[in-house]
Amino acid sequence: MDLEWSAADLAFRDEVRAFLDERLTPDLRRAGRLMTSVYADHEASMRWQAILHERGWAAPAWPVEYGGCDWTVTQHYLFSRESILAGAPPLSPMGISMVAHVLIEFGTPEQKEFFLPRILTGEVFFCQGYSEPEAGSDLAALSMTAEADGDDLVCTGSKIWTTHAGEANWMFCLVRTSRAAKKQQGITFLLIDMSSPGIEVRPLVMTSGEQIQNQEFFDHVRVPKANVVGEIDDGWTVAKYLLEFERGGSAAAPKLQIMADEVARAAAGQPGPDGRPLLESPAFAAKLADARIRIDVLEVLEFRVLSAAAGGRNPGTASSMLKILGTELSQTLTELLLEAAGPRGRAYQPHATRPGGPLAGFAPPADGYVSGEEWQAVAPLRYFNDRAGTIYAGSNEIQRNILAKAALGL
Amino acid sequence: MDFSLTAEQQLLRDSLADWLADRYDLARSREAAASEAGWQPEVWRAFADDLGILGATLPEEVGGSGGGPVEAMVIAEQLGRALVVEPYVDTVVLGGGVLRRLPGAGDVLKGVVAGSVRIAPGLLEPTSGHTAHSVATTARRDGGDWVLTGAKAVVPGVPQATHLLLTARTSGEQRDLDGISIFLLPVELPGLQVHRYRTIDDRHAADLVLDDVQVPADALLGEEGRGWTALAPALDEALAALTAEAVGCMRTVLADTVAYSKERRQFGQPIGSFQALQHRMVDMHLEVEQSVAAMYLATLRLGAEPAERARATSAAKVTVSRAARFVGQNAVQLHGGMGMTQELAIGHYFKRLTAIEYELGPADHHRSRYASLTPKPRSAERGED
Ligand SMILES: Cc1cc2nc3c(=O)[nH]c(=O)nc-3n(C[C@H](O)[C@H](O)[C@H](O)COP(=O)(O)OP(=O)(O)OC[C@H]3O[C@@H](n4cnc5c(N)ncnc54)[C@H](O)[C@@H]3O)c2cc1C
Repeated sequence: MDLEWSAADLAFRDEVRAFLDERLTPDLRRAGRLMTSVYADHEASMRWQAILHERGWAAPAWPVEYGGCDWTVTQHYLFSRESILAGAPPLSPMGISMVAHVLIEFGTPEQKEFFLPRILTGEVFFCQGYSEPEAGSDLAALSMTAEADGDDLVCTGSKIWTTHAGEANWMFCLVRTSRAAKKQQGITFLLIDMSSPGIEVRPLVMTSGEQIQNQEFFDHVRVPKANVVGEIDDGWTVAKYLLEFERGGSAAAPKLQIMADEVARAAAGQPGPDGRPLLESPAFAAKLADARIRIDVLEVLEFRVLSAAAGGRNPGTASSMLKILGTELSQTLTELLLEAAGPRGRAYQPHATRPGGPLAGFAPPADGYVSGEEWQAVAPLRYFNDRAGTIYAGSNEIQRNILAKAALGL
Repeated sequence: MDFSLTAEQQLLRDSLADWLADRYDLARSREAAASEAGWQPEVWRAFADDLGILGATLPEEVGGSGGGPVEAMVIAEQLGRALVVEPYVDTVVLGGGVLRRLPGAGDVLKGVVAGSVRIAPGLLEPTSGHTAHSVATTARRDGGDWVLTGAKAVVPGVPQATHLLLTARTSGEQRDLDGISIFLLPVELPGLQVHRYRTIDDRHAADLVLDDVQVPADALLGEEGRGWTALAPALDEALAALTAEAVGCMRTVLADTVAYSKERRQFGQPIGSFQALQHRMVDMHLEVEQSVAAMYLATLRLGAEPAERARATSAAKVTVSRAARFVGQNAVQLHGGMGMTQELAIGHYFKRLTAIEYELGPADHHRSRYASLTPKPRSAERGED
């Protein structure tokens, strides 16, 4: 038993580092560093995906035959850790990390052949159409209908909160194909071409002023039955499989460590209540130490889950546990960054950041003036946007309900 | 002991509450906030002419109605409830509070009461953090004039303001209480650089750069180097009023959240029926009730001797900063995705509550002020013997 990397792991890490050093341009690093949420600037993220694809690293978690990497669990971990450390803009998860796994498991040969290579190149960009106005936490209550008509399904209804629906040319979604006694039955997993007639996309303005999420209205949209993944009426099985990738998968600790380092750097340069740097203020230092301690512990927890997964064991309820701990720690760190920003944290200046979508009704100052430093402009927006972490991908209340049942047998 | 409002104070509360309910539309006020003007001037005019709230706490000699901390509390709470962006606390409570303690500001105060003068208090600086007495901007005499050099950061209410109330150091070290002087200046000032921006809570502020700005001798208010004696009590009054504003915001947020939890259905029932959420809303309620008590503590101790007054307002700010965070965050959480948008009021209130958390000093700042003002036990004073 030990917590150290092997020599082979270290050599791999150095290889990744060298690659990142060479290929991450300053502009891409900025796009990663000045992110205001978990969503990178779309253009930068796609540019980085193309560079990774060239190296064969755009989708390392896929099976090798489809373009993945033959890496150990540790190597996957090191790759994502190094990427975050270097400030790489993260890739959009909906295609590569979500629907692709579903296609690999349930897709027809034609679906795999069409979608997988195009997801890799970015030619196909997916959004996730699960949530509906009346079906959030209770996802199985979804009601967007898809009625069979010849070779097509005709879809009518609405999806909401869809991240990057404006940028996406494809949506994977859950639709209702029949009404059964049990609401989980009669759901179908469907791929919709966003250029199909009858789809309207309306951007939503979030607290931060950013327009990344959207609501879509589907009015008799015809979708070929060939775009059903898995069996008609059996979409819940497919959706549950995808959920494992949405909730678990990557490790949160490296990202959190970097956030904690950012907080420390920020607080070192700002005055605390007694005039000394905030980082030396006992109250602030204790809060930051507490967050770091939790991260250290979470990292080992994540290692344990990863090594269980490497041994072929199902992570089980661990993904709910890691989701709760990771998102709540992340929120704590955004609070500390905002506190470190001091009075400047009140300025609304998204032009000094790289948000993940357009801004509603904001005109940057003509002279580009920024009050304070860029990270101080990032801090409040990140704080607002990060509140979503405990809401999406199954809210933390829902995760606690799951744990009460599955971990404690209540 | 008495927590009841007088008949006049009740009338003030009710007429303001009614007026805001009828006339202050959230969506319109956000539009105005996003515009170049940054506010609705007609609202301010009504505050002065129809409601008389701008003069409610100012002396009768300048046209006010001579009220005190309780009037400020009543007004600020109602403004918080309706999420009013027009800068009452900054202009009237803080700005007016400083001016009414200094000689020679009578005409300006008359203007405040009439609504024609709005004061932007420029206290914080790039290196001050939240400490108002950390003043590095300097003022030196030059013949009959003063020359100001330095910078001010996040000065609230600038596009609406007619006057700037600036601190500048005329002697001493950056954090000394002595040596701070107060200058009242017109906003349009040759040589003054103003960088305006919106704030996260739909208000406006500016950074100022004073690069050897020449101002006349009468811009100095009160005694040279003794500005802190007027600023300290006015800042405590502003803290008390901010606490009341926060209480108003939180009452709305809690009521909206409870109402939403009764309407929103998931899993075939209102989400308010889930015990996990009931307990959360009860905890929000407990935070609000403690904030109400803290608001009285601060307001009713404003007349106490300085250390006691400061301890009470710091206690109130610590309570309200904690509550603003808990109530704001959980209101968003319980609204789910809807809480993350600007479509409902909740998102806007959350942003204001976030700003309030830090405004006039975050919780740690006031914990340390409270601790430093709390007498040590005798054994600790003696040390080791
Ligand atoms: C930034 C962001 C991005 C998103 N991106 C996408 C996307 O790309 N695609 C997509 O399909 N969806 C997306 N979502 C939607 C997200 O999955 C939903 O917001 C989430 O499922 C919660 O649903 P809701 O918003 O309807 O809240 P509700 O389900 O109405 O929940 C409201 C509150 O009630 C609580 N609650 C509900 N049920 C229970 C219970 N049984 N016990 C205790 N508490 C309960 C919740 O935890 C929450 O606090 C996104 C959301 C956000 C905020």
